[in-house]
Parts: sequence; structure tokens; C-alpha cells
Amino acid sequence: MENVIEIHGLTKKFGNFTAVDNISFSVRKGEIFGFLGANGAGKTTAMRILCGLSVPTSGGGTVAGYDIVRQPEKIKRHIGYMSQKFSLYSDLKVWENIRLFGGIYGLSGKEIAAKTSEILAALGMEDVRNSFVSSLPLGWKQKLSFSIAMIHEPDIVFLDEPTGGVDPETRRRFWELIYDAASRGVTVFVTTHYMDEAEYCDRVSVMVDGRIAAFDSPAGLKRTYGAADMDGVFRILAGRAVRKE
Amino acid sequence: MWKYLIEKEFRQFFRDPMLPRIVIVFPLLMMLVFPFAANMEVKNINLVVVDNDRTDISAELIEKCTGSGYFRLKAVCSDPREAQEMMDRNTVDAILTIGQGFSRSIVTGEDFPVGIKVNTVNGTKGSIGSQYLSDCIMLFMKQFAGDGSSSPQTASGPVIDAAPKYYYNPYMDYKVFMVPSLMVIAVTMVTGFFPALNIVGEKEAGTIEQMNVSPVSKTAFIVCKMIPYWVITFFMLGMCLLIAWLVFGYVCRGSLWGVVLFTVLHIMVTAGLGLLISSYSENAQQAMFIMMFFVLIFMLMSGVFTPVSSMPAWARAITYANPLRYYADAMRAIFLKGSSVADLWYDAAGLLAIGVTVLFWAVRSYRKTS
Repeated sequence: MENVIEIHGLTKKFGNFTAVDNISFSVRKGEIFGFLGANGAGKTTAMRILCGLSVPTSGGGTVAGYDIVRQPEKIKRHIGYMSQKFSLYSDLKVWENIRLFGGIYGLSGKEIAAKTSEILAALGMEDVRNSFVSSLPLGWKQKLSFSIAMIHEPDIVFLDEPTGGVDPETRRRFWELIYDAASRGVTVFVTTHYMDEAEYCDRVSVMVDGRIAAFDSPAGLKRTYGAADMDGVFRILAGRAVRKE
Repeated sequence: MWKYLIEKEFRQFFRDPMLPRIVIVFPLLMMLVFPFAANMEVKNINLVVVDNDRTDISAELIEKCTGSGYFRLKAVCSDPREAQEMMDRNTVDAILTIGQGFSRSIVTGEDFPVGIKVNTVNGTKGSIGSQYLSDCIMLFMKQFAGDGSSSPQTASGPVIDAAPKYYYNPYMDYKVFMVPSLMVIAVTMVTGFFPALNIVGEKEAGTIEQMNVSPVSKTAFIVCKMIPYWVITFFMLGMCLLIAWLVFGYVCRGSLWGVVLFTVLHIMVTAGLGLLISSYSENAQQAMFIMMFFVLIFMLMSGVFTPVSSMPAWARAITYANPLRYYADAMRAIFLKGSSVADLWYDAAGLLAIGVTVLFWAVRSYRKTS
């Protein structure tokens, strides 16, 4: 199977602190890849490097076929990114946010119009088209952020704790969007704290103290660690952490 | 891509609860309030006269002084201690002592006994006050000599009469001098603070991350942020010029294109500085304070309020790095003297040099990746 992300010996240091410590892994095209780890384990730092937001101290690799050190701007055309913190413009209306990001990714006026109706219909948000994004409930904001991250039909979409702070039903509906994207061949790279969500992934890695402590399918991990569910696996691995938050 | 970014900036600007109002109110305040209120002309100097002569002539001198409009006569007394006490209590700023025999000596042309004592706690008021007071006395002397048949001055030989003629601002009207400077301040404030706060605002909101992860270029992102502020600045400048014409009847003597050119150069500097500060600042407070720090130094060291030529050499050296020095100088020259851009090549070169440096640094310091 084809790999869309290949990482070798990736390290990121901030002064004396090694946030990401020599990690290597690969992600296959079209899979849902869960990137797990406790707070402060280095997940977000690693993810930011893959998105071209941060430069690694050493090591390297490719994302969507481009070098993460030398071609970060090329990577940016082929990936979508949804940050942990809601980052659409809250003083712009729903349709204006869609239009802005469509424009930034080089969509034409017509394509933007088509995308706008498509997204609003898919999310059932036609009624709030003219509402300010700040007025939407959190679950809606998250779904809108995801759809906007997907507006240019990227090869890979990076989701950094996309479902933080919402109820299980809203989370489940968000995951329907993720499945839908994966079924269209988009690779989904997702970090999460919810172990039920980890069960939905094709493969997961668990980061502990900046290193990848385990890497397998959820079923494989449960077998290896003799745990009933991913929650059990996570407790065993995260319990080995030396470093504090 | 540019179109969408510019559209976004304009939408955000007009939706801001404060910014559009500031842009309207700020020039109004600058042009309609400050020229009258923040005035360096010294008026209403409280005066006490110790009149030991008590003649018609001494009364005439007192009238001459109070009639000038600069002094407010608080009291006429005969005891110098009483006058000193009033100064100590801060009820008067100046004491004029007319000695005994004043009226006699003014006729005979001897040295006449008149004393001036001023309170210089407020140095400007004190020195200008004493200047006015001695001018009044001199004028009085001259008139008296002109009236009298036995003029002591004409009798004692040739008198050199130096009559200054003031060019460009013939009535030495402080408002005329301040109007271009206030425009300079308005432009500096808007083009310096707004962009700095705008980018830091995106940092705080986290929206800048969504931009950094997109293929949008640094130049496009920054230039699209600047464009609305350029438009706004020229709108404000237009407003200022209009007010200057309608209210004060001042028109720009030089070419408006000169004003535009220097404003564009100046915006390059202040906007570049704003960007530079915002790329090093974590939050709005930091950006605000650093910007305030620079703007204050720029204003006080620019010649807007006090002439650069009267600064000590080390301070004068610092002003060469101050963009406001060049911009204020150029704006005054164009506005009051009608100087052409060619006359002011020196100011243009100064602004350009600082602008290019700052802007280059700003674009370099803004990183999409860390």
C-alpha cells in the first residue's frame, strides 16, 4: 500500500527540552490514523512539523510526496488542517469564512459558490449561512472548521483534537464526517484524548515522552497489552511516562 | 487570492465596534480641538504691579501692559513683600516693580528704575512672560519718546531699528504651525497602531495559524492587511485638509502630490514598524506598549513640538533615525512654504532609507514556520 506520510528520526528540541524525540512512522493512503498521547507527550509539536508550521531540529520525511524541511509551502497546498483552538474568523459570517478560505486555496468564484451550497447542505446549516461564526454552538463550529479544512479537497487532513468539549452524540456525528472523508480516499490524521474515538481508527500510534511507544491497529494493541479496550492500552502506556506535563 | 484577503480585512475593519468611529473622531479632535487647546502661546499671565511712582506715566505703563492681552492684572500694591507673597502663593506669575522717580527719569533719559520678576516654575511661561513684559516696557518707552519733544534716544545718536519680518507664517500663528504637525501625528497613530494590533489580534485569536498552514504567501498576507489602512489614512488626511481649509482657511501652498508622496513613504515606515512589533509580540498589551514607546519618542524628538535645532548635539543625532522628523519637516514645508519634492529630497531620502530597512526586517521576521 502507498504511504502518504513517511517520517524518519524526527526530533524537535526547544532549548534543553526534547519535545519530539527521534520518531519514525508512516501513514498509508486513505487510512484513519489516530495519533494518541497524554498532554505534553509531543503530539501537537509533531503534527505542526508535518503541516509545515514548525521546522524539525533533525530528521525529516515526506508528506503528500513533498519534503517537510525543504518544501513546506508545497505541502500546504495538499493538506487540510484543523487546529485544536477554533480558528475561523468569528467576526465573519459562515458564508464569508467559506468564501475566504476557498479564495485562499485558489478556488474560482463559481467553485466557491458550489462548495458553499454543498457544505451548508451537508452540514444542514443553510439557515445560519448569514450568521456570525461566533454565534454558532461549539459542535457546529467544529463541523464547519472541518468542512473548511477540506474545501480544497486535500490528500491529507490533519485534525488536532477536533472534538474537544462536546457531548458524545455530537462527537459521533463529527466522526461520520471523518468516515465520509476517508471513504473518498482522503487520509485522516487525527489526535484525540477520547479512547472510544481511538477504536474508530484503522491504526494508532501512542506517544509517550516524545517517543512512539506503540504502533498498531487498535485490535493488535489490545492483544499485545492484554487490555479489554483502548482505554486500558492507553493507561498502561501513558503510565510509563516519566515527564510531567 | 489577494481579492479575498482584502475583502476580509475591509469586512473586519467595518465590523469592528471601535475602529471606524476612531477614524472619524480622531481627525476631528486633532484638527478642531488641539490647535486651540494645546497651544504654546502664553496668555493670561497673572501680573502684580508694585507701583512706587504713582504718577500718570506709571499708570499709563500699567495700562500698556495689561492692554497687550497677555497679562491679567491681579493687583497694584506698594509693598514689594506683599507682591512676593502673592507669587509664593502662586496667585501671580510676574511682578512688575516701578521704582520711585520713574516718570522723572523717563523724561530726562536716565536709567529708569523698573524691575521684572517672574515665576519660572513653568519655564516656558516664565521666560516668555518676562519677554512680553520687557517688550511692553520698550514699546512704551519708544512711544513716549516719539510723543515727547525732547526724545532722549534721537538726541544720543543713531538708533538701529531692527524690524523682523516673518516669512511663511507672518502672524506667527501657532495654529498654522501646528495644523500640518497634527496631521502628521494622526497619520502616525493610525498607520502605526492599527496594523500592529491587527496582526497580534490574529495571533491571540489563533486565526493566524489557519493562515500559516495555507499556501498564502507572506507578502500577500501582509500587503492585504496594509491596503485598508492606506485607504483609511488617505481618507483621514483628506478630512484633515478639508477641516484646515473650512475652519482655518488654510490651504496647502505646495502640491498635494507632494503630501501624498511623503505620506506614502511615511506609512511604509510606521506600518513596517507596526508589523515588526507585532511579529515579536505575544499579545496586544505588549504590542501596544512597545508601539507607544516608539511613538512617544518619535513625537518628542521630531521637531513637532520643539525645534530640532535647539536640541543638544547628541539628541540631534538621534533625530536622524526618527522618521517623524523627516515627515513633519516635509509636511510643514509643503503646507506652509509650498516647497516642492525636489527641495525636500533630503527628507524623502531619510524616510525611504528608514522605510526600506524596517519593512525588510518586518517581512523577514514574520515567519509562517517556527
